[in-house]
Amino acid sequence: MVDYVSNSRAAARARRREAAEVASLVRRLDWILIGSVAALVGYGLWAIAGITQRDVTGDPRYYLTRQSVYVVIGVLGLLVATLIDPDLYRTRWRLIFGGTAFVILIVYFQGAAIRGSKRWLDLGFFRFQPSEFGKVLFVLAIAGFLAERSRRLHEVRTTLTALGLASAPIFLVFLQPDFGTALVYCAAVGAVLFVAGSPWTHIAAIGAGAVTLAVLVLGVLPAAGIPILKGYQQQRFTSFLNPSQDPGGTTYNITQSKNAIGAGQLRGRGVDNATQTTLNFLPEHHTDFVFASLAEERGFVGAAFLLMLYLLVVWRGLRIVTLAREQFSAIVAGGLVFALLFQIFVNVGMTMGIAPITGIPLPFVSVGGSSMIANLIAIGILLSISVRARVRR
Amino acid sequence: MAKRNLSRRFLPPDPHVAEPYRLTPKLALRVGILGMLALAVFATLLLRLWSLQILNGEQLLRAAQNNQRRDIRVQAPRGPILDRNGNVLVTNVPGRAVQIWSSDLPKLRGVRLREIRALARVLGVPANQIGAAIRRHRHDPLTPIKIKNNASRAQVFYLDERAEDFRGVQIVPAYLRYYPYRELGAHVLGYVSEISKEQVQALSSQGYRGGDTIGQTGIESYYDKYLRGTAGLSQLRVDSLGRPISLVVPKVPSHPGNAVRLTLDVKLQRAAEEALRYGIDRARNSGCYGCWNSNGGAIVALDPRDGSIRALASFPTFRPSLYVGRVRQRALDAAGLTARTAQAMNYPALDRGINAAYPPGSTFKPVTAIAAMQEHILQPFESLACTGSYKKNGQVFKNWDPFVNEAMTLPTALARSCDTYFYQVGYRFYGMPSDRGPRLQAWASRFGFGQKTGIDLGSERSGLLPTPDWRKKTYTKKTDPGHWQIDSLWKPGDSIQLAIGQKDLLVTPMQMARFYAMVANGGKLVTPHILLDVEQPSSNHSPGRAVPTPPAAAPEPTNVDAQALAVVRQGLYQATHDTLGTSSSIFGSFPISISGKTGTAEKSIDPGDGIARIFNQSWWCGYGPSDSPDLVVCALIENGGHGGDAAAPAALKVFEAFFGKQATVTGPIHSD
Repeated sequence: MVDYVSNSRAAARARRREAAEVASLVRRLDWILIGSVAALVGYGLWAIAGITQRDVTGDPRYYLTRQSVYVVIGVLGLLVATLIDPDLYRTRWRLIFGGTAFVILIVYFQGAAIRGSKRWLDLGFFRFQPSEFGKVLFVLAIAGFLAERSRRLHEVRTTLTALGLASAPIFLVFLQPDFGTALVYCAAVGAVLFVAGSPWTHIAAIGAGAVTLAVLVLGVLPAAGIPILKGYQQQRFTSFLNPSQDPGGTTYNITQSKNAIGAGQLRGRGVDNATQTTLNFLPEHHTDFVFASLAEERGFVGAAFLLMLYLLVVWRGLRIVTLAREQFSAIVAGGLVFALLFQIFVNVGMTMGIAPITGIPLPFVSVGGSSMIANLIAIGILLSISVRARVRR
Repeated sequence: MAKRNLSRRFLPPDPHVAEPYRLTPKLALRVGILGMLALAVFATLLLRLWSLQILNGEQLLRAAQNNQRRDIRVQAPRGPILDRNGNVLVTNVPGRAVQIWSSDLPKLRGVRLREIRALARVLGVPANQIGAAIRRHRHDPLTPIKIKNNASRAQVFYLDERAEDFRGVQIVPAYLRYYPYRELGAHVLGYVSEISKEQVQALSSQGYRGGDTIGQTGIESYYDKYLRGTAGLSQLRVDSLGRPISLVVPKVPSHPGNAVRLTLDVKLQRAAEEALRYGIDRARNSGCYGCWNSNGGAIVALDPRDGSIRALASFPTFRPSLYVGRVRQRALDAAGLTARTAQAMNYPALDRGINAAYPPGSTFKPVTAIAAMQEHILQPFESLACTGSYKKNGQVFKNWDPFVNEAMTLPTALARSCDTYFYQVGYRFYGMPSDRGPRLQAWASRFGFGQKTGIDLGSERSGLLPTPDWRKKTYTKKTDPGHWQIDSLWKPGDSIQLAIGQKDLLVTPMQMARFYAMVANGGKLVTPHILLDVEQPSSNHSPGRAVPTPPAAAPEPTNVDAQALAVVRQGLYQATHDTLGTSSSIFGSFPISISGKTGTAEKSIDPGDGIARIFNQSWWCGYGPSDSPDLVVCALIENGGHGGDAAAPAALKVFEAFFGKQATVTGPIHSD
């Protein structure tokens, strides 16, 4: 179609058309997804404002301010990601994979160690956690690989290569050590293979392999004198199975977390009465255990509202998988959505004592720049996929 | 279509996609599965959330509140202990105690150790002792651990000012036991200390909790229920580091303990303790065999009418104040209060009046006399030969005085403590038909020997009243492989020696005093007791009121023939007044008429060099005034030689203090 401006009428038509185009794009955006993510972020900021009010003496808005800055950066990232055509990722998946692995490798050698774990690159103004961004990039790279081999998916070799590719960053993250994030990577790989359409036999074999590995790492090898996990990791992983074993040590966090959640009851104790949070009985209450604090301050009503917002996001995400323009987009959307779901489950489950203790932040709520920005970018990629979707309803 | 075209123009079609990608049934199935999984995940999370917040909310809320609440047990001031005239024997002084909440100590090992070391320096308590105390209370993190009971003002100020550096350390008011008369009556009063783990377990149903103070011996222990009062409760809110975030709020006030009044008389008690030391000094200076080793003894003084104890002295003794505040192991060692040094110091913690048993020697002869008259095997004025020795079945039994050779009646035999007279009586008991059992022992048992007296003072020995059955049970093939066939038999020598209170018989001074009270009061066996009454502390609103206590056991009749008693009393009177009475030289000149009997009991003792020898235990038991007795005194000096050498002069001192009169002349001593 060729357009040219010959007269004022034509110019006016062009202007109208442009306006219509923008209007169309705006209409094509998944406003329910945007709305629910905005609600999540807003709700998260509101929760953080209450939870961290007394954490920094003299500056009740310390964390709120920082988190708001991260949100602004994240929204910019989201906009950029929305504008970028996913094809770019598909064609450049090797570059993405190499870059991700390289940065994580740098962290391994150069990273700033905090509490015995090297996860961060210190950029002076900002402590950057590549493994959070890695989550998104990693999904893109593996999805790119699988899309390239879309006709040979049934081959064992394809699945094995995908797993081989995935294992490098997983292993590096595990070495940091960041056991939780490594688990998220594993979940994402599983989801990517699943959505890409790998044969059921492969999926089943991977599942069986994962179970065997878990049994080996947690049970058999330590018993045989070859510890893979560090002692505290092992304890955290197994203590949720028998919480009353050691109330002073490993399960202290979980006991306090459950007390906090339970104390919230239906309507919550409010910001001032939430003693578990304000008196610091609940550790890490603005990061890993933010859900417990939220539940203490806002009660079942507030916590269930948050879960419902997540459910909305996941639903919209899965819908985008079905609408994706081509296979790569579908795989990416599936991987991102599942990684999000997995993080939500492990984090929230951890605070309630039904999942192992791992340092996974709660998406869109936990204070932390890398996590917030990476998650918003992931939503941006989902939006980008959805605006380029096949059909509109 | 227009819309579609427009969008296509803004976002150009993808050249790589040959034909439109379609939602395959395969993908739809998989997305469906993911959707179900998501629903399952959220359902699980919501159900768990519901279970925690709605179903278990109340309980977890309470847990969260308890998290920050510290219940502080407010110890009640312990009641004082008074003598019968209201003199304060034990009371309290206020102090400040330093205690640790182990749950609030810094979690990091290094920080914790640094804090403990700093605390140790400030308080002057060895750090390893604090560590040991914390380890001891590991099972119970919510009971504070007392580190020091009597912190000085300077220490309290220091800790208060640096509360930030001493997390989990708390300063609370404490009451310290104070003993105005120092070691006076230490064995009777006993001491208090922090309750042990075992005691908490055994007594928790009676309201005792960890950290409480509890009486460990003596009155402090026996009447702890009156003395301890009721602990109160205060509450304090703390943050996760144990720093207080609220003031201490009193919830339940504490009620101070009741005052316990004893039948003891401070003056007489002091006299008895001085008399005991006097008797021991006399024994040491007498130069008698083994008397250089005299280093212990007991004096019991009680009212023969009701058994109330006026004085109960035991030597060696100790200062109960050693147990006040922080107990120093070294100080206890030096005082002989630990298992390590007790023997070397001759067991200072032992209350010899009730908790040590000795052969009674001749002080037992009145028992034999009464029993023999009751059994009609001895006429009171029947004359029996008192000779230097007595032979039976080829065995020779010696008299203490080898030069005597005359016929005596019972009162004279008592007065002069003739052993050979009583050997013959003992042999008469041996000759009695055995179908009614051993009669002498039956009477001794009726007089309270071989059983506890029931005194309200805790740990008490019952002594040993040997019988044929006891021999059979004690000497078996297993316990005595060499001679059990012989030893398990009751032989004439056993009866003969029992008659003068020798061989296997063991009695406590309290049992002996009880028997002499029976003689003094005309045949009623009293139960010795030391509690007079219990009073509530007086306050501004109400004067102290008496607290009901179980009444002391009434004297029990023994149905002894008054005639037989009169004969024995005659003999005891002569013993202190006849020219040749064994303690006439001691009591003859005393303005108040005293009756009593000396005793010299042979006991095999190892004085510490590994060679056991036979040493004499010096006894004197008696009462005064002779015709209507007000006081029974029983004195025992370990290794004190003859009864008249050490025990009788000591007993006299007690009578002097009681009656407020001095004995003027003391003649030469001629006694067993």
